[in-house]
Amino acid sequence: MDHLVFEVGTALVLVAIAAVIAGRLKFSIIPFLIILGMLVGPHAPTIGIINLKFIESAEIIEFLGRIGVLFLLFYLGLEFSVGKLIKSGRSIAIGGTIYVLMNFALGLAYGFLTGFPLYETLIIAGMVSVSSSAIVAKVLVDLRRTGNSETELILGIILFDDIFLAVFLSIMSGLLLGGATSIGGTILSVLISIGYMMLFFVIARKGSPVLNRLLNIASDEIFIIVVFAALFFIAGFSETIHVAEAIGALLFGLALSETEHSKRIEKLVIPFRDFFGALFFFSFGLSIDPLSLGNTLWLTLGVVALTILGNFVAGMIAGRRSGLSHKASVNIGLTIVSRGEFSIIVANLGIAGGLMPILKPFSALYVLILAILGPLLTKESKRIYNVLNKVFKWSNQNSKSK
Amino acid sequence: MNVREIELPGIGRKFEMITRSNEKIVIVVHDDGRREIYHFDEHDHDESISSVTFNDSEARQISAIIGGIVYKPRALETVEMAFDDLVIEWFKVENNAAAINKSIGEIDVRNKYGVTVIAIIKKNLKKILNPGPQAMIEPGDTIVICGERSELKAVIKELLSSGGE
Repeated sequence: MDHLVFEVGTALVLVAIAAVIAGRLKFSIIPFLIILGMLVGPHAPTIGIINLKFIESAEIIEFLGRIGVLFLLFYLGLEFSVGKLIKSGRSIAIGGTIYVLMNFALGLAYGFLTGFPLYETLIIAGMVSVSSSAIVAKVLVDLRRTGNSETELILGIILFDDIFLAVFLSIMSGLLLGGATSIGGTILSVLISIGYMMLFFVIARKGSPVLNRLLNIASDEIFIIVVFAALFFIAGFSETIHVAEAIGALLFGLALSETEHSKRIEKLVIPFRDFFGALFFFSFGLSIDPLSLGNTLWLTLGVVALTILGNFVAGMIAGRRSGLSHKASVNIGLTIVSRGEFSIIVANLGIAGGLMPILKPFSALYVLILAILGPLLTKESKRIYNVLNKVFKWSNQNSKSK
Repeated sequence: MNVREIELPGIGRKFEMITRSNEKIVIVVHDDGRREIYHFDEHDHDESISSVTFNDSEARQISAIIGGIVYKPRALETVEMAFDDLVIEWFKVENNAAAINKSIGEIDVRNKYGVTVIAIIKKNLKKILNPGPQAMIEPGDTIVICGERSELKAVIKELLSSGGE
């Protein structure tokens, strides 16, 4: 216990180095932190008093990572308001629905065809359906794509995707964590989850005057204590009624999203989300034995190929339907293919629910590949378009139709 | 020019416009205060050919330049805004002009010429909007007057220029 702070400090230094390198390479830090975690972890050497296995501190690091999930999802809840979604319009609702349905169906088909049981298949389908808001938003800003005409559709699809994630996680946590054995019990625990979720939706829509008054705190110090206390309390309470704590955090964020204070909370939460979020990816990496990745390699490659294809086709359909050019539509599919934090959270829920342990290395490899490949595909979208254009002759068609 | 305004959740707000010469310009205002301007290919509105990023204070300065605010003070004396024959004019009162040290009520331009004094900008740039009859005209003031072109000319010649009446 003597070296606890030192151990955590060492871990943080490694995380910081990985983050700096990722920043230099202009890359998302997510894959770097996962790989770092896998490299140290149980296989790392001990150098003097520096113990890179993080045995003593493993629990603490894991706990800090868990806090990271709470902040990630709390922020997600704050960001998407129902009002925003309604405002964003029809083309996004259609595009988002096409995207989610297609990917979810592909995921289900893949899970069944490769012989997974029902729950595992559902988790895989969930992982395949949710793209990474963090990576996509970062890539769009870094590559200076925010001005492009397809950008709002991409962000809209992601917003839609995030809402799907909330519903999906609620239902799955009812299914997996409820611990019910009979069909009736399972239905009941799913209903509890959905009811719990609806409760927060109602609070978000109707309760904002009350919340506004409660949160009318001038001092930032007291404000942050109150908000964080409520966040941890609600997340923890959710666990007791078998709703995943991450969902509790998300729903609490949702409840606050319509208040006047949402911008202020967002500002306060971002540093915490970034810091603890980094530890989440690191601790996820720590929990993975690199040697176990080999067993799932082919399985993962299959689902990666499927994801890219599914995203591409869904992006083309969504883009063309809302009147964008072929070029812009190609960009959509190639941008939303990135996978990250949410796919891991879905997989972790499966693990917490006692499903097959193979989900863990599977999700790690899946996220690693797509967190690296996604931004690359986005960057090279012009070249990919040019190649595809030669095959499909899009630009000729356009000029003819004019 | 038609400006399309679009929300970009998690990033900011986007303003899209196509100029008369068919050039597409997009301005993105990031939530963190950054502004980006994108300029698109004239023939392919999906292909951004250049972009610039400004921080908040740079953006304000640039917008002031484009909006004509920075350059306007020098032109203050002669800027005209003509709506057919109705003209608003900024005129710096010359030394020794007849109107100096008289009040608006005394010079009575509204009744004599049909000209209205909209504002007086004092030497220290203090503005008196819609001045009352007791407001005084002092050396170095710029006064903003509104009326028909010929009447404005008469007022300027007889009351506001040096060596008038």
